[in-house]
Amino acid sequence: MRKIRTIGICAAVLLVAFSFSSAMAAQVSLRFSDWHLTEDVWNKSLNEGMDIFHKRNPNIKVTLEPVSYGEKETKYTVESMAGRAPDVFHVHAFSLPMFFSKGFAKDLTPFIKKEGPGFMDAWYPLPIKLMKHKGRVHAMPGDYMTMVLFYNTEMFKAAGLDPNKPPKTWDEFLAYAKKLTRDTDGDGKVDQWGFGTLGSKSPGFSMRFGPFLWSFGGDYLTPDMKHSALDSPKAKEAFAFFVELYTKHKVVPPGMTAMGAQDVRTQFAQKKVAMILGSGWTPPIVNKINPDLRAFEVLKAAPAPMKRKQATAIWLSSWVMSPNTKHPKEAWELLKFITSKEIELKWFVDNRVTSSRKDVSGVAPEILNDKFASVMASQLPYGKVEPQIKQWPEIIDTFTTSLQEAIVGMKTPQKALAEAHKRINAILAR
Amino acid sequence: MFSKTIIWIFLIMVVFYCLFPFAWMLSTSLKTEAEAFRIPPTWIPLQPTASSYIGIWVRKNFGIYFFNSTVISLSTAVLSTFFGALAGYGFSRFLFKGRRFLIGFFLATQMLPGVLLVGPYFKILSKVGLYDTRTGLIIAFLTICLPFSTWMMKGFIDKVPVALDQSAMVDGCTRMGVFFKIILPVVAPGMVATILFAFLLAWGDLLWALCLTSSEPMITVTLGIARTVGEFRIIWPMLMAGSLVGGMPAIILYIFLQRLLVQGLTAGAVKA
Amino acid sequence: MKRAIRIKDRHMWVFFVSPGVLLLILVLGFPAITSLSYSIKPEQAGPVSYTLSNYMNLLKDPFFSRTFWNTGIFVFLSVASHMVLGLAVAMVLNTALPAKPLFRLIALLPWVVPDVVAGIIWKWMYNPIYGAINDFLLRIGLINTPVEWLSNPALALFSVILVNLWRGFPFVMLILLAGLQAIPRHLYEAAGIDGASRVQSFFHITIPGLRKMIVVALALDIVWEVRRFGLIQAMTQGGPGVLTEVLSTYTYKQYFQFFRFEYASAIAVVMTVVLLLVSLPYIWMISQEE
Repeated sequence: MRKIRTIGICAAVLLVAFSFSSAMAAQVSLRFSDWHLTEDVWNKSLNEGMDIFHKRNPNIKVTLEPVSYGEKETKYTVESMAGRAPDVFHVHAFSLPMFFSKGFAKDLTPFIKKEGPGFMDAWYPLPIKLMKHKGRVHAMPGDYMTMVLFYNTEMFKAAGLDPNKPPKTWDEFLAYAKKLTRDTDGDGKVDQWGFGTLGSKSPGFSMRFGPFLWSFGGDYLTPDMKHSALDSPKAKEAFAFFVELYTKHKVVPPGMTAMGAQDVRTQFAQKKVAMILGSGWTPPIVNKINPDLRAFEVLKAAPAPMKRKQATAIWLSSWVMSPNTKHPKEAWELLKFITSKEIELKWFVDNRVTSSRKDVSGVAPEILNDKFASVMASQLPYGKVEPQIKQWPEIIDTFTTSLQEAIVGMKTPQKALAEAHKRINAILAR
Repeated sequence: MFSKTIIWIFLIMVVFYCLFPFAWMLSTSLKTEAEAFRIPPTWIPLQPTASSYIGIWVRKNFGIYFFNSTVISLSTAVLSTFFGALAGYGFSRFLFKGRRFLIGFFLATQMLPGVLLVGPYFKILSKVGLYDTRTGLIIAFLTICLPFSTWMMKGFIDKVPVALDQSAMVDGCTRMGVFFKIILPVVAPGMVATILFAFLLAWGDLLWALCLTSSEPMITVTLGIARTVGEFRIIWPMLMAGSLVGGMPAIILYIFLQRLLVQGLTAGAVKA
Repeated sequence: MKRAIRIKDRHMWVFFVSPGVLLLILVLGFPAITSLSYSIKPEQAGPVSYTLSNYMNLLKDPFFSRTFWNTGIFVFLSVASHMVLGLAVAMVLNTALPAKPLFRLIALLPWVVPDVVAGIIWKWMYNPIYGAINDFLLRIGLINTPVEWLSNPALALFSVILVNLWRGFPFVMLILLAGLQAIPRHLYEAAGIDGASRVQSFFHITIPGLRKMIVVALALDIVWEVRRFGLIQAMTQGGPGVLTEVLSTYTYKQYFQFFRFEYASAIAVVMTVVLLLVSLPYIWMISQEE
C-alpha cells in the first residue's frame, strides 16, 4: 500500500514538475538587433511593431538591442565569430556576401518550404536574388527603395526654372545646376549651389554614384564579376562628368570629400543646395532638420536624370537569422512578422520607406498616392544593384579613394580612374 | 628672458585653444535642434533651451550610462594604479633575472591593436559568463591600463631614494609595509596622474564597450554618445550636452585629487 | 617579527610583480596569440595551412607604404607637439601665477573628451560651410574664403594632428608637471646665486631632473599615438584618398569592413614589431639602475 502511495506521489510530483517546466520552456526569449532602434526617425514605429508581435505571440519575448548604424558590422562580426550573434538582426543587402561567405547567416529554405508553395512570390525578384547564397535563401528582404532626384521648387522658381519640369537628362541637369549656383545675398560670394552630394567614404556613396555610372552605360565590373569594367569609354565619361561637377563647374559646395549623407541633407534643408539624390528617408529627415522649410510642400521628387538609359541605384535592407540561434522556429516567426504585408505597409505609413514586397509597393494606395513614394516605386524596374561579391567593400573603398583623389585635384580623373581599374583587377585576381 | 608679458600672451593663447571647442559645445547644447543646423551658425543661441540637458536623462537613459561608466572607470583607475604601483615597485627596487624581459613584456602587450584582441577576448568572456557585464569590461580595461600604470608608477617610484626604504626596514618595517606606508604617500602626485589617465582611458573607450556589451542597462556614456550619431540623423544639441555632462566626472575626480598633485616630496625625503 | 617562513627579501619581487603578469597573460595573452596566428594563415582556404603570403601581399600593397608613411608623420608630429606644448604649459604652471588651479583645470579639459567624441565635434567645427572655425575666422576677417580643413590635400593630415594636439597635450603636461614639482627649489636658487641664466638653469637643472619623466611620457605617447584610432576614423576615415590613413585605421578597415582577418593580423604583427623596435631604447633606459 505504502509503495503504491509513494509511487503515486512521485508520479504526481513528476507530472507537475514536467508541466511546469514545459510551461516555462514555452516562454522563449529572442534577441533582436536593428540600427533603427537608435534612429529617432524609426524607433517608435519599430517598438510599436514589437508590441503587436508580443500580443500575438505571448510565449515569445523579444529583447531589443540597439546598435548604431556605423557600428553594426563591427558588432555583428565580433558576436558572430563567438557564436553569440542576436537571433535576428538587420543589415544592408550589400553586407550579405560577406556574412554569407563566413557562414553567419542561417539557411532559411527549410522554413520557406514549410510555408507552402509560392510563399516568396510576394516579393520582387531582384531582392530575392540578392538574398540567395549558392541558390538557397539565407536572408529575408526588407526595405526596398530607389534613389531619386529631390529638388526644392522654391529655389527653382527663384532661379527662373519651372518647378514642374525637372531635368530629365544629365546634361539638362548640369545646365539647371549652373543656374542654381548663385549669390543670393549680393555680397559677391556664391552661397547657394545647384547640387549636393556625398564625397566621403560611406555606405551611401555608391548608391549616389550608381545613377551616374549606369545611366551613362558603364558599370563597375564585367558581367562575370571577374574584372573591372572601369576602362570602358562610358565609365570614363561618367566618372569625369561626376568629378567635373565639383572641379570644373563648381556646382557642388566646397569640402565635398568630407561630406556624408547627413551633411548633404543639412545643406538641402538649409537651402544651400537645390538638388540632391535621396530616397524614402529624405523628406522626413530634412523636415526634422529645418521645419521652416516645409519640406513636404516645397520638395518634389523626380526620376534620376539619365544619359543613355534610365537606371538608378536601389537600397535594400535585409533580415538575417543567426546560425547560432537556439530558437529557430520562433526566430522564423519573428522574421515572417517583420516582413509581412501588414508590417511592411506600416513601415511605409510611419516612415516613408517602400517595401520589397510587390503586394505593398506595387499596389498599396498609400504608396501610389504619395508624391515621393510614387516616384520611387515607378523607378523600381530601373533599379540596379552593385556587384554582390564578398570583395565589394574593398572594391568600392578603392574606387572612392581614387574618386577623392580626383576631386581634390591630386590626380586627373583619367589617371585616378585608371589606377582604380588596375587596383580593382588586382583585388579580384587574388 | 621670458618676460611676464610673453608668458601671459602664451597663456591666453593656450586657454583659447583649449576652451574654443568647449564654448562651441556649450553654445550648441543650449540650442534647439533646428537652430543647431543653421547656416551660417549662431554663437549665442537665439532661442536658448535646456531641453537637451533634460533630454539626455529622460529620453536617453543617461543616468544608467553615467552609473556604468563611473563604476567601470573608477574601478579600473583604482585597481590598475594599485597593481601598477605594486609592479612598479617590484621593478624599481629589485634586480632580478628576467627583469628587463618582463618590463619589455609589459610594454609589448600594449602594442597590439584593440581591433585584434576584441574578438577572442569576447569569446573568453562569453565562456565564463561575463559577457555583457560591467565586471568583464573592468577586467579588460584594467589589463589594458596596467602596463602604463606600471611604467608611470615605476618612473615616480624611481625618484624616491632607496635610502628611505632602507631606513624604514632597519626600523623593523616589512617590504610590504614600506610599500604602503612610505612609498605610496610620497608618490601621491604620480598616482594622481595615473589614476586620472586610467579613468579617462576606460571612460573614453568605444570599441570594447561596443563589442563586450549588448543590453541597454550596460551601456557606457561614450557608447551612448556615439549612438546619437546615426547615419540618418545627428542630434547635435544632445550630443554636445551629453559630451559636456560626460566630462564632468573626470573633472570632479581631478578637482578632488588635485591637492595631492601639488604636494611635492615631503621635507623628510630631501636630505642635504 | 613573526616566526613564519622567512622569505629572503630579495625574492620579494615575486609578490609585487606577479599579480600584474598573471593578469596580462590571462586576459591579453590568449587573444594575442590567437589573433597573431591568423597572420600566417592563407586568405583563401587551400592546400597550405601556413603561409607567409599575407606578408608578401603587404609588401606589394600600394596603400600600405603610404599608410606607413602617414603613420610616421602623424606620430612624430603629434608626439613632438605634445612634448613641446606640454612642457611649456607645465613650466608656466610651475611658476608663481595667480589663479593657478583654474589654469591647470583649463589645460586639462581637452583630455576629458573621449577621442571619438573629439573627432566628431572637431569634424563639425572644421566644416567649410557651417563649421564654427571657418565662421569665426571669417567673422574676424582672418580669411576671405572658407578653408577646406579636411578636404584640402595639403591641410588634411595637419588638421587631424591639430586636433590630436588639443586632445593629447594635457596628459604629457600632467606627467611633466608632477616631475617638475619634484625638482627641489633650492637647486634653482643656488644656480641663481651662482649667476646662471634662465636658459642655463633650464638645460642644466630642469631637463636632467625631468629626464625620467620625459622618457616615460615619450614612450607612452609614442605607443599611444601609433594606436590612435577613434579620432582619425571619426574625422576622415583615412581620406581624402589615403592622405590620412594610418596603420590603425587601415587594420580596422581590413578586419571589419573587408573581413580580411588574416591580412589584418599581418598588419597588426608589423605594427607590433615596429613599436617594439621603437621602444627598445626606452625599455633599456627605464630599466637602468638609477
